[in-house]
Formats: sequence, C-alpha cells, structure tokens
Amino acid sequence: MSEPMKIRATLQGDVADVRILMMHPMETGQRKNSKGELIPMHFIKNVVVSHNGKTVLDAEWTQAISRNPFLGLRVKGAKAGDKISVTWIDNKGDKRTDETAVAAGS
Amino acid sequence: MPNLLGGIAASALLFLAVSVPAQAADPLAVGRQMLAEDNPGELWIEKGKTLFYEKRGPRGVSLEQCDFGMGPGKLEGASTRLPRYFPDTDKVQDLESRLVTCMVQLQGFKREDVIRRAISPGGSSGSDMEALALYITSRSNGMKMNVSLNHQKEREMYKAGEYLFFRRSGQTDFGCVQCHGDANKRIRLQDLIHMTSKQGVQEVVSTWPAYRGAHYVVRTMQWRLYDCFWQMRLPELAYASDVSIALTTYLHYQGNGAVTRVPGFKR
Amino acid sequence: MKKTWFKWAALGVPVLVIAGCATYPDPATTRRVAEKMVNESFTAPAPALLKRLAQDKSQQICSKIGGAQLTQEEAAEVARLARASIKYPPSGKLVGDWKRGDKLAHDGAGDRIQRGRLEKRKENGGLCQNCHALAPGEINVGNVGPSLTGYGLQRGTSDSIAKLTYERIYNAWAYSPCSNMPRLGATGHLTPEQITHMVAYLIDPQSPVNKK
Repeated sequence: MSEPMKIRATLQGDVADVRILMMHPMETGQRKNSKGELIPMHFIKNVVVSHNGKTVLDAEWTQAISRNPFLGLRVKGAKAGDKISVTWIDNKGDKRTDETAVAAGS
Repeated sequence: MPNLLGGIAASALLFLAVSVPAQAADPLAVGRQMLAEDNPGELWIEKGKTLFYEKRGPRGVSLEQCDFGMGPGKLEGASTRLPRYFPDTDKVQDLESRLVTCMVQLQGFKREDVIRRAISPGGSSGSDMEALALYITSRSNGMKMNVSLNHQKEREMYKAGEYLFFRRSGQTDFGCVQCHGDANKRIRLQDLIHMTSKQGVQEVVSTWPAYRGAHYVVRTMQWRLYDCFWQMRLPELAYASDVSIALTTYLHYQGNGAVTRVPGFKR
Repeated sequence: MKKTWFKWAALGVPVLVIAGCATYPDPATTRRVAEKMVNESFTAPAPALLKRLAQDKSQQICSKIGGAQLTQEEAAEVARLARASIKYPPSGKLVGDWKRGDKLAHDGAGDRIQRGRLEKRKENGGLCQNCHALAPGEINVGNVGPSLTGYGLQRGTSDSIAKLTYERIYNAWAYSPCSNMPRLGATGHLTPEQITHMVAYLIDPQSPVNKK
C-alpha cells in the first residue's frame, strides 16, 4: 500500500524538466530499532521513466539512496501533453506507477 | 543498460550541472532553493486531503463539517486567522487543537488516542494529524497571516504568550528569547530565527508545518514547541496545551502579513 | 448556515458587548493567567521534575518582557544572589583535567525529558559547543556566546584567572546579571568538579583551545 508519487514535468523549449518525489522508507537493513533488532532492508531497486511509452531512464538503485527520494531528469524531444510515466519496484516486490502530462512552460 | 545512480547526491549533482545558472556562487543557497522547489513534504498534502474528505472514526463522517473559524469546511484562509476564539468550545484554539476538537466531536475518536498519535515517530510514514495540519495550511498558501485579537480571550492568550516567550526557568535559565532574541545567531550550525524582529517571526509563522529532513516526516508547530522545551531541560509540553496555544497566538499575531508557504523545509 | 445564524443571533447581544469591551489584561492579570497555564500545560515522569518550571527570584527578575532594562537595584540584587550561590570544590583546587573538560565542552546531552523518561547519563554535558567557538578550526560551533578560542592565551593561568573562570561558569550572573548564559553550577546542571575540568580546558596552554 504505497503512497502516490508527485511528478512535475515542465517544458523548457523542447526539453521536459521532470521532477519526481517518492515516498519510501529506503531502509538499508543496517539500522536497529529501539529493541536492538535489525530493521529489514526495504528499498527501491529499480526506477523506470518512460516518455509516451518509450523508456528514457532505467535506473538500478541501492540502499545508498535516502528515504523519500527525489529524482530529477530532463527529457529531450518532448511536447506539451506528452505522457511521462514513472514506475518503481522495491526489494519486496512492491510496485508503483504514476504518470503526468508534460505541462507547457511559462 | 541500467544506470547505476549512487545516491541522492548524484541526482542532485545531475540537476546542478544542467539547471543552475551562472551565478551559482553560494552552494548553500542553491541547495536550499532545490529543497524548496522539491520538498518531500508535499507528498503529505495529498495524504492530508484524502484524510480530510474520508469518512472516518466511530461515527464514520468526514471533517467537512469542521469549522476552522470561517464556517464549516471553509479552508481557504482559515489557517491565516488561527489561533482564534471559538464560541462552541469557549476557547482560543490553534489549528491542531481545533482538529482534535473536530476529530473527537464530529468523528467520535477518543481525545487521548488522537493526542497520543498526533506526533509521529521519526522515520515513520507520519501521523494523520501532521498530514491534516499540512493540508489545511496549504489551502492558505499565498495568503497573508491575518490574526486579529478582538475577543477578550484572544487578548489574554496573546498577552500570556508574550509573557511566556520571555519567561526563564529550569537549570538552563532559558526562555524563548535567550535563543531567539538576536539576529545572526546559531546553535552549533543550526541557524536561530530572530523572533523579536518582524522579518524573523514572519519566517517562522509562514513555514510550518514543515518537512523535517532528519526525521523524514512533516512536523508541526505543536511539535516544534515541544522540542524546544525538551532541549531546554524542561518538562514535556502537553499537546494542544494552553501554553502552546498562547505562544502560537503571540507568534502568529506578531507575524501578521507573512505569506503562507508550506510545507517548509527544516534540517 | 441557518443553525449558525440562529446561534449567533442568540449570542448576538452579549457577544457584541464583549467584543466592544475587549481590553488587554494588565501585567498582574497576565502573570496570573500565564502562571496558571504553566501549572497545567506540562507533564513529567516524576513530580519533582515539574519544579523545573518554577522560577527563582533571579529568574523572575530576568524575565522582563520585550528585553526591558534592569534597574540598578535589580541588577545588583541578581548579582548579589549569584555571588552568594557560588560553591567551590572541597579540595579548593579550581583547575582540573583539560582532557575531561574537552569532552564536557563538546557534550550537549543529558537531563532532558522525553516520552515520559529522563535522560540520565553518567554526567551532564557542559553544552559549551552549542553557543561558543572553542578550539580553532572547529566548524560545528555556535555563536550565541562570545568565542572562547585562545581564552588562556589571552588571560594567562594565574590563580585569579582560574577563580574568575570558575565563577563565571558556576554562575555567570555574578558578573553579568541576567546574561543569556545558564548558571550551570548554581542550577546544578554541572558539579563543581566538572567545572574545574572546564576551567582547565579553557586556560591550560596544552588545551586545544589555546593551540594555533
């Protein structure tokens, strides 16, 4: 049961400036709780960003990335209204996809 | 071929390389701007909105009938006028205590439960109260703090808050003013807001609730006041207590004119 | 909407009268109201800890609203009470071990109350780094208080300097009534023995504070 991402995609010329906020514990598996027990690993392993269905970013993440991560990227050849879709998969097999339309720049 | 992104610093640097103009002389300012533009706290606004409109509690109702001072369910501008006097409780209340009132009276939650869960543990997914307080305050984003002191109890609350701001006690001999009474001061590397200046107090009242980076959750003014008393070596400030509302009334009135911009971002 | 109108109409006259007569309470009333709030707004794991909220005479004098000036009499009274509070270690030796003082000066923990528990450690931290620059080159230091870098170099290691330093840490208000600095020894946050180590940390030529 994951929380929605926040995706902003703004056109700057023919480049979409995409900014993604994700809510995820990103537990490294090395922290201990107050009882001294190790908190199990729970982190996003893979992030895929696509533009109108075509993959533009396919990233392998590790525990090194902080809780509630931010990802920013720029996508060339975009137009207003194009679809940007983001999918993450974590080490427990949980998956989440959110999408947004590229907004015209100001 | 999968890209291996090493860490948040890597993606931040990726951004820095392409989107920052030539005058990037102050990396701290650049970093602050980046955090302001992409604040993880924003993720809790949606969460708060969902909680606000959802039918919840033993009575299975939403918070739409909750009156924050401008009529039931009217949210735009409501937080800019808080704290204020409420005839139905005959008390001056801030946003969080008003949420407690509504969660108890409208939704049927038990007061002790609401208060016990109000402040989430650091690193958790946050509390309902934190999300709701942020959502409601965000509905006033862009609007100016506009607290008035017309009712007798509002004036008493304000004066009490002023008195408490300067009240020194405990083995540290601290009142709020010891740390927040001068410009350009810091404890270790944490800047201290100068709250006896107009600019400083406006900065304070316009940026709570805020995402506390070190805790990975949204924190509220009630939490912030509690935390101050903690490090002053004083007893625990009770949630939604009169002292907390008095101090909030004092600060908000002093900060009138400040433009709401939440979530703020704190270290 | 209708209900609200009815409620307001019923309350209409008295509410308007109250609004019209709203006044700011005088200082004595404010004090009474606020002190009652203090009594009702805090919890602690033990009743004795609630006493931390009570103000002693000096704190009351030093809580002036709006940073108002002390009168000469008030300043003198606070200084007198502060001087009378100073206790020295039984040995009479005011300069301890600078290495222990170094640790204490950088320790900002101890004696805080959270989630129904008191933070009890072997000893309370000195809290110095929170507000003061100490050894040269340290970045993570506050500036609420003046820099103490080179303290011993500037003042020397005489007995009178040791005594002055000890007394300022024990109760700064003996020298600067109502200063922002906590009366660390007088309030019991630090023991006389701990303070002797901090004195050494500040004045010993071997201490990092006095290195270039």
